[in-house]
Amino acid sequence: MIVVRQKPVDEICAFVTRHRRVLLVGCNTCAAVALAGGEKEVDLMAELLRLATSRKASFVEFSGTVLTRQCEPEFLEQLDSEGYDAILSMACGAGVALLASSVDVPVYPALDTLFIGAAQGLASWEAECSACGQCVLGRTAGICPITRCAKGILNGPCGGMSDGRCELGDRDCAWVLIFQRLEKFGRSEEFLEIAEPKDHSLRTRLVTWDAHEDGIR
Amino acid sequence: MRQTQVAHRSGLRDEQQRLYAPCRARCPVHIDVPGYLAAIGEGRFTDALEIVLERCPLPSVCGRVCLHPCEDGCRRCLLDDPIAIAQLKRAAADFGVYPRPEHPRLRPEKIAIVGSGPTGLTAAHDLANRGFQVTLYEEKPLLGGTMRYGIPNYRLPDYALDRDIDYILSAGIAVNTGIRVGRDVMLDELAASHRAVVITAGLQGSRALPIPGVDSPRVLTALPFLEASSRGEDVDLGNRVVVVGGGNVAMDVARTARRQGASDVHVVCLESSDEIPASPQEIHDADIEGITLHYSWGPRSISHEAGTCALNTVRCTSVFNAEKRFAPSFDESVAECFEADTIIFAIGQSADVGDLGIALTSRGAPQIDPLTLKTSIGNVYAAGDVVSGPTKIIDAIAAGHQVAATAYRDITCDTEPLRLLNEEIDTLGEVPDTMANKLETRRRIQMEHLEFFDAVKTFDEIEGGYTEYEAAREAQRCLSCTTGARLTREKCSLCLTCIRVCPHGAPILSTDGYVYFDAAACNACGACQSQCPSQAIVLEGHSEQEMSRRVERQLWAAEMDTALMFACSSTPIVPNLGGTPPRIITVTCLLRVSERTVLEALQNGATRVVFAGCVESTCRFLHARELVRQRSGHIEVLLSRIGMTNAFDFVEHKADDLDWHLR
Ligand SMILES: Cc1cc2nc3c(=O)[nH]c(=O)nc-3n(C[C@H](O)[C@H](O)[C@H](O)COP(=O)(O)OP(=O)(O)OC[C@H]3O[C@@H](n4cnc5c(N)ncnc54)[C@H](O)[C@@H]3O)c2cc1C
Ligand code: SF4
Ligand code: SF4
Ligand code: SF4
Repeated sequence: MIVVRQKPVDEICAFVTRHRRVLLVGCNTCAAVALAGGEKEVDLMAELLRLATSRKASFVEFSGTVLTRQCEPEFLEQLDSEGYDAILSMACGAGVALLASSVDVPVYPALDTLFIGAAQGLASWEAECSACGQCVLGRTAGICPITRCAKGILNGPCGGMSDGRCELGDRDCAWVLIFQRLEKFGRSEEFLEIAEPKDHSLRTRLVTWDAHEDGIR
Repeated sequence: MRQTQVAHRSGLRDEQQRLYAPCRARCPVHIDVPGYLAAIGEGRFTDALEIVLERCPLPSVCGRVCLHPCEDGCRRCLLDDPIAIAQLKRAAADFGVYPRPEHPRLRPEKIAIVGSGPTGLTAAHDLANRGFQVTLYEEKPLLGGTMRYGIPNYRLPDYALDRDIDYILSAGIAVNTGIRVGRDVMLDELAASHRAVVITAGLQGSRALPIPGVDSPRVLTALPFLEASSRGEDVDLGNRVVVVGGGNVAMDVARTARRQGASDVHVVCLESSDEIPASPQEIHDADIEGITLHYSWGPRSISHEAGTCALNTVRCTSVFNAEKRFAPSFDESVAECFEADTIIFAIGQSADVGDLGIALTSRGAPQIDPLTLKTSIGNVYAAGDVVSGPTKIIDAIAAGHQVAATAYRDITCDTEPLRLLNEEIDTLGEVPDTMANKLETRRRIQMEHLEFFDAVKTFDEIEGGYTEYEAAREAQRCLSCTTGARLTREKCSLCLTCIRVCPHGAPILSTDGYVYFDAAACNACGACQSQCPSQAIVLEGHSEQEMSRRVERQLWAAEMDTALMFACSSTPIVPNLGGTPPRIITVTCLLRVSERTVLEALQNGATRVVFAGCVESTCRFLHARELVRQRSGHIEVLLSRIGMTNAFDFVEHKADDLDWHLR
């Protein structure tokens, strides 16, 4: 899923204090699961903004609602934003973008979209995928070097690795992890194969994708 | 949420509506036990009292002498001790304020009720509260029936009974005491002048055995003796008293005899120690008061000799026959003679309604149609012990509700109250091992009571009642069965947070991809509810809206510099903050105070919000401690971001020995 995190409230305040009636719109899919944009957080953010703005003697009204998913036009059709002069979207970037394209008032993001990740337990996630468009997990034993390696290299480790740690010091070296897992499954030979460079232009070219055009559907 | 909910479908909201906690299911009137225990646990005694009154108009009485079938079903029985469900009802009545009646629109129909025991009082209460003009007819000078004239004052003092009766009468019920229907006023007259008459005459006949020598002033029967004692009369019993009978009434008679000055009291019964019908508690109390029980003796005759007498008995070899019917057999060769100054028979009560002019059964009880509860006179109903034979107060209250709802249906054609009374209910099984293993042993808190050597000297009430603190602590032992987490599936975002925080494995991810809650494994700690990002989980008796209302009430007309403290109900001592005393809201667990509630309180005028946490030794939900700390940290961060760094505080006791006054 898409992992998101709330922006510091002072940053959000700067967006909304210019307006009079602001609607907070949550998203009950990824943003809720990431504990940042579900109904509870919408309620809390509204209360926090009320408190913050009233202390600055600016009188902004805040209401909240939650959509099942903000990245689908049909769900957005259910949104009643009549009478609001700004919207604070508590969804990932995709939700903010689609919402911004479907209403006539400014839409601001309340969240920062971090990564595509997996849950590690309660309120903790790990980045697993960078949406590169050419998945390499088949030859890296399910560990993404584009995401987990600081340099995103396809043939590692680099010379900065020591004792299995990345030279950045904040993580294990992804390539060491890849080697260990390949070895565990008796696949260490594969580690020696050199990977061809990826088509990085895909990341810039893939701004839309239409399954029909590809003849897939 | 102040909003128009656009995205969520409504529908399947409530999957467990008629699932009752075992205590509630076993209670004949289904009092919302976990509901009132939760209120007491938070020190909200008036709320607790109102919850009890919804189903039982005699909380002060039942809090003292109810035989509590609920407690046998309590899910804590197998862990340590059942909750003191009945005694906590007394705390609700002692510390709560009885509500004022609502006086519904008066209806034209008049209803007469004959007898003012628990059945009659309950029926009168229900019917008066539905607008009928109700008159109680009672033969005795005061209301209350067996509760006043049977049950001894050391168990149920008059003031405790009067408190409930005053409340019941406040609904506007006319009272005619000192009037025996069938003698001072005729039943057919009442039937003609009232839309309905309800006979709740109880069992006023007291029998002795038809054996030689019973007709003597030295031989008494239970009810007249108990009645005289209740009225405060001195009965000259002599020193040595023999009570015949093995039920609770016999124990009451024996213990009352002790208080009437008899120093040597013996109870002689037919049953063996395994069969004796008296409750273990009563037998224990009788034993403590120095009363001797003699099992398996059948009286044959009474002999008299110069002011004293003797009960001649033979060995009873069995009480019941193969079909479990009462058919005692004896071994005449084994005999025993119990000498006495007075012999009192406590071998059962019988209906005494021969003068009413209605058709009777062979036992002398009114003949009724079990479906309509009607007697042989069309608009005359009968209910309670007079129909069912001896039961308990709480059964009598249930009978009162039933007959009131039946008469109401017959008069108004509205079947709803009757349907609600007789709805099917479901209950929970035992506490699963996974949960039991994580629960700490906490024994029942014992009430202060008179020591027996003092107790037997007077008719003073033996039990002293809980203090407010003891009551709250005892109520907090409740596992809140069936009142825990409830899911609104269509709001759930399937984040699985609930599964990750629940210590008991109550939320389950099913193979169909949805989350379900296993009510049997939930003790309503609220951890999941506090963390659910979609607000898809509710706890019974707790909601953000209710919390907002409580905050608003506390902050209403708040002065400058008012701090609002949320105190965990398990906090033995509320911390002293210095300065102006804070307004305090007591909560079951601080996890029930959301970040939003704290901000709202600050928005509504609190200058500071303080969380007062409990100590580990009193904490009900140990796993919640970390979550509360996290929440406090989160609140601090949020507030510092908007420049309100000192607006929140979390005070936790360091010392762990603050609960000393309970040990
Ligand atoms: C000694 C004793 C101790 C008990 N202890 C307990 C206990 O600890 N806990 C418990 O749960 N249960 C106890 N019980 C049982 C309980 O008291 C009864 O089940 C209950 O009181 C029955 O209620 P009732 O309303 O049907 O009758 P009652 O309470 O007997 O009330 C009937 C009333 O009708 C009046 N009456 C009768 N005929 C007429 C008439 N013709 N005209 C006008 N008035 C009339 C009577 O005077 C009486 O006031 C005890 C019973 C006894 C005898
Ligand atoms: S633990 Fe509480 S709710 Fe559960 S059966 Fe006992 S008294 Fe009732
Ligand atoms: S915490 Fe709430 S949203 Fe998440 S799975 Fe449980 S019920 Fe659903
Ligand atoms: S976390 Fe607490 S309230 Fe939620 S299901 Fe588990 S025991 Fe029940």
